[in-house]
Amino acid sequence: MSADPRSVQVEDEANHPRTGLRLIGRGLRRHTRRLSIGYALMIAWQMSETLVPVVIGLVVDRAVDGGGWSDLAWSLGVMVALFVVLANGYRFGSRFVVRSVELESHHLRLEISGHVLHPRGARTASLTGETLSLATTDARQAPQVMRQLGYALASLVAVVFVAVYVLRLDLVLGLLVVLGVPGVLVLIQVLAPMVACRTAHQQARTATAAGLAADLLQGLRPLKGIGGEDVALRRYRVASQDASTATVGVAAASGLLAGLTAALSGVLLALVALVAGRRALAGEISLGELIAVVGLVQFIGEPLRGLGEVTAQFAASRASADRIATFLRTPRLTHAGPEDLRERTVPVLELRTVDAPPLSRLDLRVDPGRLVVVSADDPATLDVLVRLLGAEQVPHAGRVLLDGVELTALTTAARRRHVVVAEHHTEIFEGTLRTTVDPLGVHDDDALRPYLEASAADEVVALHPDGLDRAVRSGGASLSGGQRQRLALARALATDTSVLVLHDPTSAVDAVTEHSVAEQVHRVRAGRTTLVLTSNPAWLQQADEVVVVRDGVVAASGRHRDLLADARYLEAVGR
Amino acid sequence: MSVDVATHQVLPVADARATTGLAWRLVRPRWLGAGLTVLSFLAAGLTGIVPVLMIGRIVDVVTDGGASTDVTRAVVVALAAGLGTGLFTAASAVGLARVVAPALAELREEVLDRVLHLEGERVEAAGTGDVLGRVSDDVRRLTEALDEAIPLLLWSLSAIVFTVGGLFSLDWRLGLAGLTTAPFYAWALRWYLPKSAPYYRAERRAEGERADALVTGVRGASTLRAVGAEHVALQRIEQRSSAAVDITVGVFRLFTRFGSRMNWTECLGLVMVLGTGFVLVRTGSASVGEATAAALFFHRLFNPVGALLFVFDSVQASGAALARLAGVALMPAEVPVPLQGLGTASLHVRGVRHSYESGREVLAPVDLDVAPGERVAIVGATGAGKTTLGAIVAGAVTPTAGSVRLGNLDVVSTPPRLVRRHVALVSQEVHVFAGTVRDNLLLARPDADDDDLWSALDAAMATAWVRALPDGLGTQVGDLGHPLTAAQSQQLALARVDLLDPRLVVLDEATAEAGSAGARGLEVAADRVTRGRSAIVIAHRLTQARAADRVLVMEAGVVVEEGTHAELVSAGGRYARLWAAWSDTA
Repeated sequence: MSADPRSVQVEDEANHPRTGLRLIGRGLRRHTRRLSIGYALMIAWQMSETLVPVVIGLVVDRAVDGGGWSDLAWSLGVMVALFVVLANGYRFGSRFVVRSVELESHHLRLEISGHVLHPRGARTASLTGETLSLATTDARQAPQVMRQLGYALASLVAVVFVAVYVLRLDLVLGLLVVLGVPGVLVLIQVLAPMVACRTAHQQARTATAAGLAADLLQGLRPLKGIGGEDVALRRYRVASQDASTATVGVAAASGLLAGLTAALSGVLLALVALVAGRRALAGEISLGELIAVVGLVQFIGEPLRGLGEVTAQFAASRASADRIATFLRTPRLTHAGPEDLRERTVPVLELRTVDAPPLSRLDLRVDPGRLVVVSADDPATLDVLVRLLGAEQVPHAGRVLLDGVELTALTTAARRRHVVVAEHHTEIFEGTLRTTVDPLGVHDDDALRPYLEASAADEVVALHPDGLDRAVRSGGASLSGGQRQRLALARALATDTSVLVLHDPTSAVDAVTEHSVAEQVHRVRAGRTTLVLTSNPAWLQQADEVVVVRDGVVAASGRHRDLLADARYLEAVGR
Repeated sequence: MSVDVATHQVLPVADARATTGLAWRLVRPRWLGAGLTVLSFLAAGLTGIVPVLMIGRIVDVVTDGGASTDVTRAVVVALAAGLGTGLFTAASAVGLARVVAPALAELREEVLDRVLHLEGERVEAAGTGDVLGRVSDDVRRLTEALDEAIPLLLWSLSAIVFTVGGLFSLDWRLGLAGLTTAPFYAWALRWYLPKSAPYYRAERRAEGERADALVTGVRGASTLRAVGAEHVALQRIEQRSSAAVDITVGVFRLFTRFGSRMNWTECLGLVMVLGTGFVLVRTGSASVGEATAAALFFHRLFNPVGALLFVFDSVQASGAALARLAGVALMPAEVPVPLQGLGTASLHVRGVRHSYESGREVLAPVDLDVAPGERVAIVGATGAGKTTLGAIVAGAVTPTAGSVRLGNLDVVSTPPRLVRRHVALVSQEVHVFAGTVRDNLLLARPDADDDDLWSALDAAMATAWVRALPDGLGTQVGDLGHPLTAAQSQQLALARVDLLDPRLVVLDEATAEAGSAGARGLEVAADRVTRGRSAIVIAHRLTQARAADRVLVMEAGVVVEEGTHAELVSAGGRYARLWAAWSDTA
């Protein structure tokens, strides 16, 4: 095993797209069939829309301008036929596209939450609010590319059709359209990055404000305890005003772009009307063709504007896709390898000359079936131990072994089958007391009872007439700190794992209960290994062995009552 | 987690009238900008119809065989109008954002204001998902509407009004022919809206539930992994996301059916206008150019009418978001009450009882007096009512009955925010706010200078490690920043109390989260921060009880023993047993 934790390769990382563009490309490939049908129908719809002014010209030329009733009838018949294609093309084409967008969005959302909820976790520094915004806003925005592409394709086909139609009609008119329309497009393309850049800025500002609000709501209780609401609010106002300023900036840029597009379309229309009017006056084109041409140029402003906006929309989607891709490529939190433990028995847990500051060349051996308590002078020591035993950290030197196999070389499944690390801070989830202590629903009431009794969580259960079916709010809001801790301990015990690591499991529990909990946990864990990280006398007394860590090395070990002879020990654990 | 107990009391949603009233209140101070914006929209609509009238004129020049200068003249007018449209389009978009973006910012700030000042219990009852959804999802929806739907709505409205006016200016019969489509548009809308509104509500609800599942999964990821239950949370996210997808796709199907009806109405309109034009030209009451302009006018209506009816969608959705935000913003704000002098800081609790659910009393009548500067410890088993009593004394929970007075201050009836000037509450929960160490401290007293901060940190025994941080007071901490241990986080909380300088401090097991190694340091910090103040210390570490002037032992909502540490130990009761278990290190 290499000494540098970063060199440990994460095997599934390679499957995630490297950039936002690749993420978008993968989405398009995933829905190729559905999208192809959708795009074909949308093109048919947009072509019909484009032909409407041509047919208006036809009706005026053949019927209104001196035609008969039968001319009116057949030309209007053509119009109705056109609308059959138009209405159904959009109706069904867009459904295919939207379905793809929604499915892809769902897929991304699951990928993002799957990354966070991977058995090996994710080493991310994102706030809950930011991750939430990634899984809602960004997962929704990124696949919009599929919709944008549909409209862009349909618009492009319409624009090409118009160019060909006009070019065949008259060379000058044709050149005007063929050069004028792309000219306007190019100009917009040149200006569009200005909007795109501001959009990214605006999205970031909005996300910051949302993240701040989420953080404040999470710390609401401590905040209220000191009456800091108003100061917090003032801070949010600053972020909110920043976001607002950014929004005005985006609107100014995109408003100018919209205005410019409208003005250029107007100029183009006027020029075309000038040339077409003179041609018609000279009899070189028919009246119907004159109307069709000006109608087409007038209509083409719409798909043209759509094409202009597609760049900005695409930039927004790409920004979202980039954020998602970056997030998905954050490495796994815990390390894993290919090894498995064949033995079904309780393994030996061993730390061999482990260097991981503040630990320095620490040796520790926990034999199967023992209750060992590690007491340290420095809380950071315990935090590092928790990370080592959870395979979240690889020591700079030395090895953490389970039956002789390096913990970080085990498959995640094998490691978790044998070792459960119950961190000091744990979450309580919305549900019932039952789902809190048995989230997987694998135990019946009888099987749960010993764990509830050992953790004194049975007293929490007895407090309410609904017993185990008492509802629990998110975060365990209706429970006290001591109650939450007992439930968390019961939940850890109920995993029934061969090696259980507990970090200060009863710090919020009263002294009498604490003693009985330590005693009963010892009993209920008989035959399996329990490692408790604490300096709490209740646990020290129960320990088969106490290991005292000072300055990162084992300073003493033995039974609690034997160690009491040591003055430094007594001073460290005494109250 | 396999059981959903979504018995949330969600926050209020405002009705249409209240929502409109709020929107009006937000826009009114910006009336000048709003007025200019409206004028720009109207001007864009007016200049937009001129080119079509000019094309009609060119058609007449062609059919009547006029001069080419007539064509040029018409083109020049069209050109000028086109440039005007561009100008006013830009002006209207910029103006709108300048009016609406600050209004929206004001709204979301008001919403957070209300949410932050809500009773903590109310927020928890509503569910964090509901609250977060309003502050993030609904705000996003409105911001998006501002970017797209609202400008489009206004452009379309002015385009429609002026185009219909243009039709009538040609010939009243052509105008009528165009108007025959109005009932069909209305009919399509009346078919669509009642069907879509509940659909949108369902969509919003599904998204809220999805957000709830996501919050749970993201925040609890590490715990879920530890007990091997991450797939349960993931499954729930999948189910709820999948349900939301089905609803969204369903909404869109409905929308496309509506779109079809719109297309057929367009078809009908064109046939009517062209047919009428045919008859009018035949009878000599209109020119071919007028008939052409009429058809082009109607054709020109497709986009704005479509846009108008289609943005009805986003307008409806953002209306729902606005109503949800308004519901919170319109919750009564706290009325500022002048701070009265406290007089002496002696605390008198009389006959306080409390039950969270009717019939289940967690606190039987409790009396308690704390003299100025006296430190009282409360001990007892879980469920004894210690936390509830502490929260009531701090004004965070309103008792079912009884009175709490601190000097002249009636704690029960005074808004918690004012109580905070005199009473600080440090709960078991530890949260490091995202920001710098300085930001975290200034929450308690925004006008404190760095010297004040260092002296508070000193009181909380935190000077050494804060100095050792990479940027000292300016170090980023919290979710994104430098990680702090539970003990360090709680020391920050104690430093905040010192800055706040209250007369009474309630510490609710403020050393619990630190773990045994950090707890003793925290105890010293707690001791220094409470010195010279009245304090109620809810303690599970009995050293804290021993250090207190007086100890209260609670059991099942009742105070069962009271006295000094020495008295209670020698009395040989419940406390003596607790102490024996605690001090028994051998």
